[in-house]
Amino acid sequence: MKYFLILAIIILYALKSFSQGTDSTQSKTSTDSSESNAIINVISGFVKGDKEKVLKGANVVIKGTIDGATTDEKGYYEFETEEKGNVTLIFTLSDYKDKSVQIEIIPDKNMNIDVQLIKKEVSTDEILVTASSFTSGSNTAVTLTPLEIVRIPGADADLYRALTTFPGSNQVSEGSRITVRGGNPNEVLTILDQASLYNPFLFDETFNVSSYSTVNPWGLKGINFTSGGFSAKFGNVLSAVLDLKSYDMPQATGMFAWLGLANASLDGTYISKDRKYGGSFSLGKLFLEPYFAVNGKNSEYSPIPQSNQVGGTLAHKIGSTGNIKFYANYSDDKVGIYNAGPTYEGFFNSNSKNIFTNMKVMVAPSSSTLLNAGVSFSSYERGTGYGILNTKTTELYSKGRVDFTKNVTSKIDINTGIEYEYNGYKFDGTVPEFSYNLNLDAPAFEISSDESSGRAGVYIESQIKFSKKIFVIPGIRSDYQTLSENVSFDPRLSFGYMPARNNSIRGAVGIYHQNPKIDYFLRTPDNDLKPENAVHYILGYEYNNDNKLIFRVEGFYKDYSDLVLFNRRDLYYRSEGKGFAKGVDVFFKTKIANKFTGWISYSYLDSKRKQYEAQNLFPSSYDITNTMSLVGSYNLSDQIVFGATLKFSTGKPYTPVVSSVFNSKQGVYIPIYAETNSGRFPNYSRVDINAQYIFALFGRFAVAVVALNNLLNQNNIYDYTYNADYSKRSEIVTNNKRTIYMGLGLQF
Amino acid sequence: MKTKNLIMFTVILFLAMMLNVKSYADSDFDKAMLKAKKNLKEGMDKSDETKITKARGQFERILQLKKDVWLVNYYIALSDYGLSSNAMVKKNNDNVKKYTQSGIDMINKSIDENSEFADSYVLLQTLNFNRWQYEQDKMQEIIAATQSADESATKLDPNNPRLFLINGIASFFTPEAFGGGVKVAIPKLEKSLDAFKTRKEKKEIYPDWGYEMAMGYMAMSLMKRDDEGDMTKAKQYIDDAIKMNPNSEFLTEYVMKEYKDASK
Repeated sequence: MKYFLILAIIILYALKSFSQGTDSTQSKTSTDSSESNAIINVISGFVKGDKEKVLKGANVVIKGTIDGATTDEKGYYEFETEEKGNVTLIFTLSDYKDKSVQIEIIPDKNMNIDVQLIKKEVSTDEILVTASSFTSGSNTAVTLTPLEIVRIPGADADLYRALTTFPGSNQVSEGSRITVRGGNPNEVLTILDQASLYNPFLFDETFNVSSYSTVNPWGLKGINFTSGGFSAKFGNVLSAVLDLKSYDMPQATGMFAWLGLANASLDGTYISKDRKYGGSFSLGKLFLEPYFAVNGKNSEYSPIPQSNQVGGTLAHKIGSTGNIKFYANYSDDKVGIYNAGPTYEGFFNSNSKNIFTNMKVMVAPSSSTLLNAGVSFSSYERGTGYGILNTKTTELYSKGRVDFTKNVTSKIDINTGIEYEYNGYKFDGTVPEFSYNLNLDAPAFEISSDESSGRAGVYIESQIKFSKKIFVIPGIRSDYQTLSENVSFDPRLSFGYMPARNNSIRGAVGIYHQNPKIDYFLRTPDNDLKPENAVHYILGYEYNNDNKLIFRVEGFYKDYSDLVLFNRRDLYYRSEGKGFAKGVDVFFKTKIANKFTGWISYSYLDSKRKQYEAQNLFPSSYDITNTMSLVGSYNLSDQIVFGATLKFSTGKPYTPVVSSVFNSKQGVYIPIYAETNSGRFPNYSRVDINAQYIFALFGRFAVAVVALNNLLNQNNIYDYTYNADYSKRSEIVTNNKRTIYMGLGLQF
Repeated sequence: MKTKNLIMFTVILFLAMMLNVKSYADSDFDKAMLKAKKNLKEGMDKSDETKITKARGQFERILQLKKDVWLVNYYIALSDYGLSSNAMVKKNNDNVKKYTQSGIDMINKSIDENSEFADSYVLLQTLNFNRWQYEQDKMQEIIAATQSADESATKLDPNNPRLFLINGIASFFTPEAFGGGVKVAIPKLEKSLDAFKTRKEKKEIYPDWGYEMAMGYMAMSLMKRDDEGDMTKAKQYIDDAIKMNPNSEFLTEYVMKEYKDASK
């Protein structure tokens, strides 16, 4: 009984002390003068950084206590403490490494402790951006954002057109197809979530009609455009890779409608409340009647260009890190454009249908591994008709791919993967016997062919960070093509070195292969065509100050071999071609507060190939010696943005006709050509401007756009045409004369 | 018997000492927290970067006590928010980014340690709003981050006055074109004020900021709307708020100036 009574009294006392805890006069805070008899010491000193720079706001504390202080504008600190004996002082400041100092506090002896803190090295993922890369995403050195894409004047919110304002790439016929560093357009591969996107264009390869891409930049969380020296992950591509990653899940629920002078679209996204399910849809239609009514027509059309597009995605989150996503897209286009050629005057008709589907799964089996798997299918049908020429091609692609990433240590990642791709090609139609004679009575062949090929590829590469300043990415891949039964081996190496903060040197060397198009195999004995080969050598320097100021200069050399070449002796295509491309790219970009963003890009290129019909090393078809782009975007206010783009390039090569010979049997003149690509079109230049205005409409977010393309109404040349005997040459000017475009978008 | 008595006595004494030590340590922690919280409030009231930095330092030192680390990190993040807002007024984008990012890192640490505290998500949402200042290109990410924080806060504490306040302020500064404006802000601020009236925080050391700020923003919203009687109501809110916190420069200089300009 007695003990219980004592216990109760003690507990009550303790509880009283506990509840009065906030009012306790016993304190260990240094700034209070204690009423106790303990001895108080003063500790003071200065905290500095590099080159004696005073550090304001640095924190100093005795470990295990709250005795301490913060430095003032002079880097000076001072505090009182009752602690004595051996203690540890801890100094901290953001952006600086913590510092601990052991001291002995002797009663009644004040102490003066000065320290120097060392700045933390910024460790980011930017260092792993490889040579020749332009990127957009959250963890990379961003050089192009979706907002910038839609704001670039002249780009018409098209990702590919926006990319041509960066060095190393050019548009084909002012459209969305691009060529890179003198290579052919089919040497640029687009990858969307691991699936190959072979025909993401409307009005592709259509006479004097600019193509448009079907890729929506707003749906992309990552864009990586590499114009050379790319990873071993990518096979069967010779020049460049555009690696696109879409958002795994829509970010919010909503719809956006767009109505413009030439087009209309409706996009919607949905995400469930628990963020586990999501989906999107997209509808688009092109109609040019209002556009032509305002701007007039520069060509005669029948039918005028028209296209439709519908697509959507479904996504499901698996666990906390996994995701499965299904994507489907359909697009079609149709146009007839009048042309007066030497042997035929009439409408060049073109139509296409494109279906693309992709299913991808991403899981993280552990915290250090990632598995991505995908299956895709696409079907592309194209019809072309002009004079006697009347063809239909069908291209089928399907691909299965698995990629595995393992984070071995904090400094080493391993990536490996395997893929199989099927490529089917069907061609039916009437083809003129002589390419120069398209008359309806001209001699012609009826051709029907059906061929297919498979390609299996495997790769492994490692990302090794030797230190925060140096990384290397060695890799190797191998591909096997079933049609030619050829195996290729592609060793590749990238490296990066940061000699100082914000400065990096990047380089790459490697072997790259690409199988020739199937239609060349149809004119090759025993499918005896090797994969076309290129060796890339790239070295560059970049200064990047947190993406506010970017300066980059890069030199490259590409050595080509086994290019497809028409053999005039046996009239077959053989792997006997060769070539080279060399040059320098320069890029400068700046951002000033949130007001102005602008960049200048310049490329010098010298590219020659002995390929296809070119029997010697002649300028390649896209050997454009000097190319320059200036882009600027200015925020007049939060609601109004102005932009301007200036593009200039020296003339693109073409093969002139120097004379002709009359063929009495056919009743037409046969053109006699000069050396392949020995002529140059006049210089190309174009200025585009636009303005965007953000406002409220029916209480919703709305954006209005006005664009003036080809402001100076330059007559840039698309091609030359000739009269019947080739004695007179006429310019075919592009249809992209000075035009005005207006559009209105509404979010709801 | 003697041995038994000795053991009992030892146990009782030990128990008493432990209770006392705990109460001593808790009182130490609480006192330090309240002092630092007071200094932080004074610094934010006066938009005094030095004072806010000192208060932040105090909270960093309190971490040494290794008690309720999640709450200390919350206040460090709140200090960073104060520094970031200060930098915004001075149009120093580099510091806006620096302190906002630091604040986000600290509040995420706090959430990792205690994911059940609604005010942490409110602060996370607030810090993410600051990212519009320098990361407009990442609008999709920012929208997703703020929506997610908002949902978490609502789920944990649907009547948190600071949740309504932050959403009201966001609507106040968001152009109508983007779905904001005073018509949208006023109902949210009214909810905030109603919630503040009856709010009592579980502990004195828990965050309790925002009441006079809600009044200040309500006053500015009413001034902007300028319906009949709005100016009188606005003045009433300003007077009540200044009474509550006469040291607040936001009220005495910024809001009062707006009122004087609007009254001309």
